[in-house]
Amino acid sequence: MPPANPTRLDANAMAQRAAGMIAPEAVVAIDTGLPAAAVPDATPPERGVWFLRPSGMLNELPLAMSDAAAIARGGYVDIAIVNAAQVDAAGRFAGVAAASDFAAGASRIIAMVVHTDAGGMPNIVESLTGPAAGSADIIITDDAVIAVVDGGLTLTELAPGWSSDAVQSITGAPLSIAPDLREMDFAPPAGVPVNKVYADGQAALADLPDGATVFIDGFGGPGGMAHYLLVALRDRGSRNLTIVSNTAGIARVVSFGTPPGRTAIDHSLLIENGQVAKAIASFPVSPSVSRPSQFELAYRRGEVELELVPQGTLAERLRAGGAGIPAFYTPTGVGTLIAEGKETRIIDGREYILEHGLRADYAIIRAHRADTDGNLVYRGTSRNFNAVMAPAARITVVEVDEIVPVGALDPEAVVTPGVFVQRIVRRPAGFTGYE
Amino acid sequence: MPFRKLYASPAAAIADLGDGATVLIGGAAPHSEPSGLLDALLTSGVHGLTAVCDFADGVGAESARMGQLAASGVITRLIAPTVPGADGRMLRQIGKSGSLTIETVPRGVLAERLRAVGAGIGGVFVPAASAGADGGAGADNRLETRTINGVECVLLPPLRADFALLRADCADTMGNLAYRGAQRGWNAVMAAAARITIVEADTIGEPGAIDPELVITPGIYVNRIVATNADGQGR
Repeated sequence: MPPANPTRLDANAMAQRAAGMIAPEAVVAIDTGLPAAAVPDATPPERGVWFLRPSGMLNELPLAMSDAAAIARGGYVDIAIVNAAQVDAAGRFAGVAAASDFAAGASRIIAMVVHTDAGGMPNIVESLTGPAAGSADIIITDDAVIAVVDGGLTLTELAPGWSSDAVQSITGAPLSIAPDLREMDFAPPAGVPVNKVYADGQAALADLPDGATVFIDGFGGPGGMAHYLLVALRDRGSRNLTIVSNTAGIARVVSFGTPPGRTAIDHSLLIENGQVAKAIASFPVSPSVSRPSQFELAYRRGEVELELVPQGTLAERLRAGGAGIPAFYTPTGVGTLIAEGKETRIIDGREYILEHGLRADYAIIRAHRADTDGNLVYRGTSRNFNAVMAPAARITVVEVDEIVPVGALDPEAVVTPGVFVQRIVRRPAGFTGYE
Repeated sequence: MPFRKLYASPAAAIADLGDGATVLIGGAAPHSEPSGLLDALLTSGVHGLTAVCDFADGVGAESARMGQLAASGVITRLIAPTVPGADGRMLRQIGKSGSLTIETVPRGVLAERLRAVGAGIGGVFVPAASAGADGGAGADNRLETRTINGVECVLLPPLRADFALLRADCADTMGNLAYRGAQRGWNAVMAAAARITIVEADTIGEPGAIDPELVITPGIYVNRIVATNADGQGR
């Protein structure tokens, strides 16, 4: 006869234990229903954790479902917390796990399971009675924490009053006992997010190395371009860069709105300074033959390479890069130079070419306002390529007019969630897009 | 001629929705579903529809409209990521009786297949690990696989629909839409994926009524607009 078992944990206590496993600023895909749905309330707000729900809500930010799914597939989800009905001896779980399709890209999956069903039968079993929805790394039950190690289950923590024998007696699969088996700790975790706000452009780009691929926002004119960061990148002097941009710098020659006697700041700064090896761009040439851009001149001298990409394809390749989509078929460019060397395919009677997602080491983008979590709003057409570049870079640095406290931006108006923004710099007062 | 999009009643807005159509439904919870349009569908006499709908609303509230549509044979095939709660029990029960086919598809797969339609994309490769057991194709349909950059991927085809029945917080008479909270989730994706998109809006204003920075769905994707309470049923 197994000993009478002590008290089970309630859903809130299970959620509290899970909350203790979440690092500051982590992105957590969270299931609907208890106990998983109680984890956000068990997580101190100052931890800066992002909870992505099956409804598409990212904390208080509403996302279109394609954007919510892209966060998961794009590799941004650190932990998925799912409610499981059953877990097997290898950590596979079953159940109506609404978060499970956001869990596929997660670095770590925590399955929450009540140890026994209403009839006292184990929910941790040798093999599942239904199809597996995924594989857990950690299992939190109402009396223990079990790690999935080398395809088996290892008991690592016990709820107060529980013994390993008592836990094993209600478990339908063999448990190894961790050498450092300990009592569950419900203390709120320590640590706060790193400060994303940098003192100036130099500090924000201090580690941008030679040979990096850099997304640079902007359009034909000066709008939506991170002028202050462009100057900082010139001053930093990183060389052999691949820049990905709509233009390769034509604001200077187009001169929209440029005050007399001044020149517009654009990519030309980097090209004149010999920092660019290659451009991937849609519109790299000046609209005026008599006023060639710095990029054109460098190209004619054989100093830079060019990959020409139609504008819509560039936007879609950037979106794919951030959304975990390695390749897609587009009709744009069929039958032109753009299609050379690319796979073509007829789908439903229309010809398409295969294009690939684009990712970069850095994105240098411009927004109107950021909060200190990195949530961004743009202004008018300045949104252009900024919003699609932010998710596709490893380090996204944003230049803004104003930095506001968290909560100051209307969640319905936020275009870029802060999960995509690593560094924020305020454009100095009086700084203009002209030199 | 912007005012031609505005319809007097939900029944008028769906008058040409015929038997066997594929219909995207923006939600199945009180504030995200097109309640008046679904009620009109229930009494329209249409049957044999394929509905695409997600039941995860994030707050646990649910309505019984999808269950009623299935029980009355208006919907005979359902494509959905998850069907939890009371709706789920009802729909699964109808499914067991053989009058409803339920196909589950991972949320991310469904979202990307719908997005591809509006974006003019012929197909997207996604990591197979994110696409579930069968990539949402159903057990009888094998999706093409390919290894790209060392990752096993499947090719997702676009999922085209005849109609989308959506819910928005605010529309202007040109069809520009703003949503509220989780309502954005599927409604914003489905708007661009159907041949005819019909939107039920809680408020309808003149062009300019919605701050352009807050418009999520541009009116070019919206064919018809009807007020949430157009038939006086008070939802």
